Amino acid sequence: MSFLNNIATKSPWLFRINAGSCNGCDVELATTAFIPRFDVERLGCKYCGSPRHADIVLITGPLTLKIKDQVLKVWNEIPEPKVTVAVGICPISGGVFKGGHSIEGPIDRYLPVDVNVPGCPPRPQAIMEGILLAKEIWLKRIEEAERKGVRHVQIS
Amino acid sequence: MQDTYSYIMLIGAALFNLLIFPGGLFALGLGVLFKGLDRKIEARLQRRVGPPVIQPIIDIIKLSGKEAMIPETAQRPLFQSAPLIGFIGMAVCAALLPIPGVSGGLPYMGDMLVYFYLLQLPAVALMIAGSSSSSPFGTLGFSREMTLMFAYEIPLLMIILAVAMKVGGSNFAEFSLMNIISYQEEHGQFITNWVMIPAFLAYLFFLPGTMGVPPFDIPEAETEIVEGPLLEYSGASLALFQLTSAIKNIVVLGFGVVIFFPMTLGGNIAVNILWFAFKCFVLMLISCTFIKSATGRFRIEQAFGFYLKIPAVLALISLVLVWFNF
Repeated sequence: MSFLNNIATKSPWLFRINAGSCNGCDVELATTAFIPRFDVERLGCKYCGSPRHADIVLITGPLTLKIKDQVLKVWNEIPEPKVTVAVGICPISGGVFKGGHSIEGPIDRYLPVDVNVPGCPPRPQAIMEGILLAKEIWLKRIEEAERKGVRHVQIS
Repeated sequence: MQDTYSYIMLIGAALFNLLIFPGGLFALGLGVLFKGLDRKIEARLQRRVGPPVIQPIIDIIKLSGKEAMIPETAQRPLFQSAPLIGFIGMAVCAALLPIPGVSGGLPYMGDMLVYFYLLQLPAVALMIAGSSSSSPFGTLGFSREMTLMFAYEIPLLMIILAVAMKVGGSNFAEFSLMNIISYQEEHGQFITNWVMIPAFLAYLFFLPGTMGVPPFDIPEAETEIVEGPLLEYSGASLALFQLTSAIKNIVVLGFGVVIFFPMTLGGNIAVNILWFAFKCFVLMLISCTFIKSATGRFRIEQAFGFYLKIPAVLALISLVLVWFNF
């Protein structure tokens, strides 16, 4: 089965969550990572609109008070096994917004973050490296889930 | 005894058609390969590297291993059976597909009409999926899918009528695909006949609408209504929807090849299969890949107006010309 798992990790579908970001990292994710020079699609990636289709979650922004509940709700909608990547300095430490009255972050107080991609905004190469690291963690998660025999239909 | 034997042979042949060729494995394999080629060519046209050609297969393997989620408020029986409805409809469609010079399809009179009805099943499945998932985006997708279906059905019906009347003569319509193929072998292909060229152009416009690719991917618009009816699906059900659309591509492309340019290359079966696949591929390149990589997305009322203004009028021109025996 590890052969099939290896194949499966060649198709990571990405989902972006904006947790109060200034949009800089989102522009990096949406455009530069997809321009001809870098092209994350050659890794088999695809940005999907629905959290239910996603495998790797890319979170940007410092997690503001207002969006916290929605972010947690959407994150819970993503089926297991999933990997969380924090993109930009904001979800890691709060960045320039650190100490602001409306900032609930850093994000790993609420979510298990697997990969950090620091930068303001991070370079496209760094984002792609983050996705590659997330792919390795994802493979481990799949194998772990298989050992435990978790394969269930969840109603949410 | 003789009777039982012939029945077993009939059932065996039907199963072979349904599971291996031309339905089942053949249609699935070709459909998935075409999807991969389509993504690769689109990426190359945009000067990207693009995913590997087998990417759709990888996606399907991955999806079938993922956790399946069902929304609490969804209509569970409908929600879970919707992908099956579309898939079964398309599997039957692919099994009935006549491949010129290889297999004959149904030996009965009206298989083109059967085709016309079965072709709507994936759209119906998407509508059921959208309305039973209890998501507002799904409902929006449902209404858009229905509007779009009404729009592209009108030109399709007129194309079918034009072809049937051309083959049957002015006051008699011939709906058998086998007879349509043999008529074209005698009188020349319809694509070389000036009377049928407007109908062929209309079919080219019909293809992107039914395949759900830009500029007509309105029901599943990712950036507006987050994939609409497919929003709540995950895991194996989503993989089934992808397989359905892969077979559907082969079915609509093959149908176009059969009614407009079914000419064979000699009597060799393998050569004819490859030639058929090549013609389907060229049809896909022209009507889907090139347009898809260069356009945005219509609004639903623009698409509706477009289908009534251009493809329907083109198909009508052919129909009228055929009616007056040109």
